[in-house]
Amino acid sequence: MDSSVHLDNTVMQFGDFTAIQKTDLKIESGEFFSFLGPSGCGKTTILNMISGFLDPTQGDVKIGGQSMKGVPANKRPTSMIFQNLALFPLMTVAENIEFGLEVRGVSKSERKKASDRLLELVALEDSGTKKISELSGGQKQRIAIARALAVEPQVLLLDEPLSALDLKLRQHMRTELKEIQRKTGITFIYITHDQGEALTMSDRVAVMSAGRIQQVADPITLYRDPQTPFVASFVGENNGIRGKVLAADSNLVVLDCGPLGKLAGRSQGSLAVGSDATLFIRPEHFRLQSEGGMHTLQATIDEVNFEGAYLTLNANTPTNQALSIQLGTHQFSDSLKKGAPVSLSYNELDAIVIAGEGHV
Amino acid sequence: MFKQLKSRFGSGLAVGIVGMVGVWLIALVILPQILMIDYSLRPNLLPADIGGPKDTFSLVNYETLFNNKIHLSIFFKTLWSSVLVTALTLLVSYPIAFYLAKVATPQKAALCLLLLIIPFWINEILRTFSWYIILAYKGPLNALLLGLGFIDRPIRFLSGDGGVLVGMVYAYILFMIFPIYNAIESLDTNQIKAARNLGAGWIRTHWRVVIPHAKPGIATGCIMTFMLAAGSYAVPALLGSPGSRWFTQIIYNWFFEGGNWNQGAAYAFLLLVMCIGFIALVMRVFKVGLGDIAK
Repeated sequence: MDSSVHLDNTVMQFGDFTAIQKTDLKIESGEFFSFLGPSGCGKTTILNMISGFLDPTQGDVKIGGQSMKGVPANKRPTSMIFQNLALFPLMTVAENIEFGLEVRGVSKSERKKASDRLLELVALEDSGTKKISELSGGQKQRIAIARALAVEPQVLLLDEPLSALDLKLRQHMRTELKEIQRKTGITFIYITHDQGEALTMSDRVAVMSAGRIQQVADPITLYRDPQTPFVASFVGENNGIRGKVLAADSNLVVLDCGPLGKLAGRSQGSLAVGSDATLFIRPEHFRLQSEGGMHTLQATIDEVNFEGAYLTLNANTPTNQALSIQLGTHQFSDSLKKGAPVSLSYNELDAIVIAGEGHV
Repeated sequence: MFKQLKSRFGSGLAVGIVGMVGVWLIALVILPQILMIDYSLRPNLLPADIGGPKDTFSLVNYETLFNNKIHLSIFFKTLWSSVLVTALTLLVSYPIAFYLAKVATPQKAALCLLLLIIPFWINEILRTFSWYIILAYKGPLNALLLGLGFIDRPIRFLSGDGGVLVGMVYAYILFMIFPIYNAIESLDTNQIKAARNLGAGWIRTHWRVVIPHAKPGIATGCIMTFMLAAGSYAVPALLGSPGSRWFTQIIYNWFFEGGNWNQGAAYAFLLLVMCIGFIALVMRVFKVGLGDIAK
């Protein structure tokens, strides 16, 4: 069954405000797809358009190749897990799960069978007669999943469903969600501002900012090859250093970073000589110069944090640019202390240069 | 309760508050009711005979109602019509309350609430009397309907119960809208979205999600409307026809026209018992507890 979702040149406007800029995106059938972005970036609006709570101002949403124009929310093959779960507190657990089937006129015995099967799937076999208020946070979470799956949707929409859980449970639920997605084989569309969730679970991630999709890629590509300054700084930690392009070929770019000297990195897209660009170096790609490396930066240590497996340093360059550095614990020495100078180096293939003066 | 008051306000003020509430309850609620019951159990006597050998307790005044077919039929008609008023008011108020609580933008909701409240700044008698004018045989409503061609001769709205029903629905609509509005407003909008998302149409969404949540508010609104309707005097007096007398009018007649306070007290007490009993029954049928209403 085709359960792909196609945002076909979709635009969403509220009055003068454009919540979603023109977007053309195809989410494959059976994919675990995430929208990642800070709050207010429009990701929930996308979910509302797919589920039918909002009609796009322009363009169309297609599910399984079918246009959803004029199809109301209750007739769409989607099912949503709400941020606050929105379980029905006046119904029992089983009634909650069976609600969607009751609506579809499924007989009582069939409904019971379905809810038993789903309760087993989420490992809460004996909870059918319980009230919602008797469940723990994690259990409620699973009942919400069971309720959404009961209607056998083609697409499951998840609106930050893990945000209310504590850290440990959240990590556990990540694995569980991934497992349920594998078992059911339906398309999961996941909305989150938590990049850990997006990167660990998703097949592909769309990073959004201000109503625009910045980049769509698998998690590894997103981390290694961010295409916009926003993605570079939003996904994972990054140090951005601004400069002007001195020389560029298809692989490498050399930037003139003023007092910091000439710094090079892999080029992302074509860069014209003389244009503004930003060099991004991830904290873990810094080394102490004593260990070698092609490009060096001088800085003064501001803070040293010992984290067990690694060290983090906050340092300032002479141009007063704050740097975040992560070093292996074996590199620890007494000379790394607040106020001390440090020579840092990096491998130019680990750094990336992106056009524009992005977030730093 | 006294302890809490004491810890919050100190013992002086706490005694004052409890004392005032006590005086209010005993002197203004309980004692008059007991006095009414006392009246209702005694015969209507000349002043000279009061306290004399004829002044004995009996249930004669209560028996009067059951021996008077007309009064009894008006008694039950009042009950039935009050149910009808309550049902109609609910029917009109629920969509308005839902609209105000979940559909309208805050500005629109505020405007609507204002428009609903403003007419109630006018005295109830005047408001009711304006309905008398609107519904009159040669009144504006008939003129409008005639003018639009919906009817070819005027309708007598005011004969029969129609006028009374319209007047009462209008008079008590706020008592229904506000409790329901409050109840629906406290419903998480995601609950409605979740029901829609799971495939429920509007009717089922209301039936399974919104109404169960709003049940305490609906119950409160219905009880208030029913009590007000059953105890209403002005609306049936103004908008009723001779054929649509309300039981309150008969009570009034016993008191102020028949001069028989004892008989009137018995009738009033029967109306009270009937209303409370009926409400208790309905609450039981719809599984609404007193605790729900107090929420």
